[in-house]
Amino acid sequence: MADNQFKHKIGEALGNNVLRGALGRFGDAYSIAREKAYEGYNFNLIRENIAEVKSYAASHLDDMLNQFEKEASARGAKVYRATTGEDAKKYILELAKRLGVKRIVKSKSMATEEILLNKTLLAEGMDVQETDLGEWIVQLAGQHPSHMVMPAIHMTKEEVADTFTNHLNRLNEPEISELVKTARVELRKKFLEADMGISGANMAVAETGTLIMLTNEGNARLTSTLPPVHVYLVGIEKLVPKFEDATHILQALPRSATGQQITSYVSMVTGSTPVYLADGTIKDKEFHIILMDNGRRKMYSDDKFKKTFQCIRCASCLNVCPAFQLVGGHVYGHIYTGGIGTILTNFLNSEKDAQNPQNLCLQCGKCSEVCPGKLDIPEMILEMRNRMGEREGLPFTQKFALDIVSNRKLFHSLLRIASVAQRPFTKGQPVIRHLPMFLSGLTDKKSLPAVAEVPFRDMFKNIKQEVKNLKGTIAFYSGCLIDFVYPKIGEGVISALNEKGYKVVFPEGQTCCGAPATYMGDRKNARKCAIMNIEALEAEKVDYVVSACPTCTHALIDSFKDLLQDDPVLYVRAEDLSRKSRDFSKLLSDLGGLPFNGDGIPLSVTYHDSCHLKRKMGVYAEPRKLLTDITGVQLIEMKESDRCCGFAGSYSIKFPELSGPILERKLNNIEETGADVVAVDCPGCLMQISGGLDKRNPKIKVMHTAELLLEKRVNAQKK
Amino acid sequence: MGNEEITELTELYERFKNKLEAVSGECYRTKTSKEAGKLVCEVLQGKGVRTVALLNSSLSQEGNFIEQLKGAGISVSTDRFREVTPDAQAGITLVSYAIAELGTLVQADADANVNQRLCSTLVPIHVALVTTNNLIPTLMETMATIHRLPQIPGFVGFITGPSRTSDIERVLTIGVHGPKQLVVIFVDEVVEGVA
Repeated sequence: MADNQFKHKIGEALGNNVLRGALGRFGDAYSIAREKAYEGYNFNLIRENIAEVKSYAASHLDDMLNQFEKEASARGAKVYRATTGEDAKKYILELAKRLGVKRIVKSKSMATEEILLNKTLLAEGMDVQETDLGEWIVQLAGQHPSHMVMPAIHMTKEEVADTFTNHLNRLNEPEISELVKTARVELRKKFLEADMGISGANMAVAETGTLIMLTNEGNARLTSTLPPVHVYLVGIEKLVPKFEDATHILQALPRSATGQQITSYVSMVTGSTPVYLADGTIKDKEFHIILMDNGRRKMYSDDKFKKTFQCIRCASCLNVCPAFQLVGGHVYGHIYTGGIGTILTNFLNSEKDAQNPQNLCLQCGKCSEVCPGKLDIPEMILEMRNRMGEREGLPFTQKFALDIVSNRKLFHSLLRIASVAQRPFTKGQPVIRHLPMFLSGLTDKKSLPAVAEVPFRDMFKNIKQEVKNLKGTIAFYSGCLIDFVYPKIGEGVISALNEKGYKVVFPEGQTCCGAPATYMGDRKNARKCAIMNIEALEAEKVDYVVSACPTCTHALIDSFKDLLQDDPVLYVRAEDLSRKSRDFSKLLSDLGGLPFNGDGIPLSVTYHDSCHLKRKMGVYAEPRKLLTDITGVQLIEMKESDRCCGFAGSYSIKFPELSGPILERKLNNIEETGADVVAVDCPGCLMQISGGLDKRNPKIKVMHTAELLLEKRVNAQKK
Repeated sequence: MGNEEITELTELYERFKNKLEAVSGECYRTKTSKEAGKLVCEVLQGKGVRTVALLNSSLSQEGNFIEQLKGAGISVSTDRFREVTPDAQAGITLVSYAIAELGTLVQADADANVNQRLCSTLVPIHVALVTTNNLIPTLMETMATIHRLPQIPGFVGFITGPSRTSDIERVLTIGVHGPKQLVVIFVDEVVEGVA
């Protein structure tokens, strides 16, 4: 759970218009540039290649390190292995002292930021200059980078000019080209005077002992050309096995990081190279490479986090993250920011430092979609969340709510009471502002719909199913939202499946899918829910299990299996359930859809992709086809249709201040289409989007695909 | 050289040129080393350059670069590069390869010559000569080519356009620490001693 201080930091970041403007503009431009840079290239093939070579290196880490050391040493490098950041700092400091170093230039290295190297060197009276423009600005301003690739993205040109003015004791105008010129002149002096260079690397090739750096400014070239002493600080995750393996990362890193085909400079350094000494002679330089662990090995030896080795530090996960785009990097509290940063902080700093920022993850999965290293960042964050929950327990209110949810009888009877108790609040309207805390989770700040007077489970008994040419039986898993808030969606599901020749049963013992517990880090209660549902649904007896809530479907297909790995009997049943489970639009589409339906009345519809349906199940074409098969329906695609709506379960309650602006962006995109109806396949998205439109533009209707299909068919029959 | 090879080289050259120009580089092609020398003089004169650091190569020697530059009124330094390059207005070097796919030059001197880097990094204008024959279609083939060398050179540098930054407000600005202008001249003539 996010503490008050953290909430305060979020508030400050949100109030910073400069930051929001810069991040917003960048986020929009980034996606376009990235796509363009990959044009004509097979991104999936590239990421497969990266995953292959990096996972090989990860599982042969000692071999890789030994080989790298051997090869680099043979070429005149002195290689040192630092277990901790302290070891690395001590080595560099002693080296600098021994060689009488006074002036140091650095080219971009997150690893030196990670261990706060500058502080150590400055304390010894050495002059340490960052030379990457962004890093230099941040250094002069006394701050930390807020982004791995663009360290000063949070600052305006005015702030940069003020920083330069303070540092140089002369006025600097906020003119970007002039500011860059000033940096060139000032730093050029530093480069020429420097007696030591310190660099980071993007890759370390085990086969040849080669270090590879990508830069645009040319500072890495100057750092590896001018100073007579050069030290590289390299995290052990930079290793790739073979020289030509680097190609895959060279193909992906610039494209994913900044939307460039290649950076202006790629420098590959193998061993010591010639350098000019002060007396004008040319000699091989003093050349050191520090291979640093500092918590990495622990991360890579943990099965659930091993894949972090495949991260190439492109920061594309930050650039597409709806939460990062709102708050920027500093809120994350440490050197590494965004989703991947939260994981790195957990291992390289401390678990405690990761506790607050891990809450920022919406679990929307957009980052996994663009990750060139094939990391499933949301899954890893969820694992962290669960481990934290297990170790420290959840706050009382959350725990209380989740304990109720995993006790079906109590939960359902409370929901029934709620449908009566809420009456004073509804004022005769179908939408209310408050809902009892056990469903909303914790607070009353969110506009939510009313609990249905008759839940679906009661309604089901009165639904007449007419099935011609019976083909089989399907169990309907409604999930809480359809059962107790949107029973109408359930009717749509049954009617469509009846038409395809299937009888639908509603197993009474079914209960919450456990997603609230899963996403809040309470695996125990999630497991309880999994068992109750496996037993209730009896997948063995039906042809399919259908759900019309992708979050539930994801639980049925994936989570239950994960939660029951330790129970051989239940695991087999979970597997059976997983095999038979489908989300509604996928199943209906697999069964051939509903041709020639609809009343033919023109209706413009735009479609919102739910995160779980698109990214966990790869389903996005199917619902569009179902919708456009309705005569009269015209589909208008909205911008960013697969961008999260900001609901994300309890997220909208934990962080209304973030969920709000994310929803706003969605609503803007919806309004821009001019559509009459927004179709969705997730009742959670439906609740979020209609909650927003209810206030802003009540003329636009939000409907679940199943509901829309039903309405159009009923109308057609009436005609 | 057969006709097919010539057509293929021209196609590679065109691809390179398009890519380089897209990142603000200038690109030319000449038949002989002497013509290249003449072109270098014209280009540098056009930019008002008076002092140049020339890292001599068999190609620049064959093309009488020193004489041609002096004749054009440009003072030429061919040694003491550590002293000269911080103030020289331009630097001329011969690079090893060019990658058509990306518009990228590759410096891969076997001896990791520090002067190659000084003359191409410290100066505001870098003029890079490259033998047209050394155009390689793709990044992947380039990496394989470097890998096949007797050993990986101590310094391999890829250069794609001039130095750039977007670190302030994401606004693209050309010329930070490295050259502000990059001029690439392809030379068809194969001079003995040029890899």
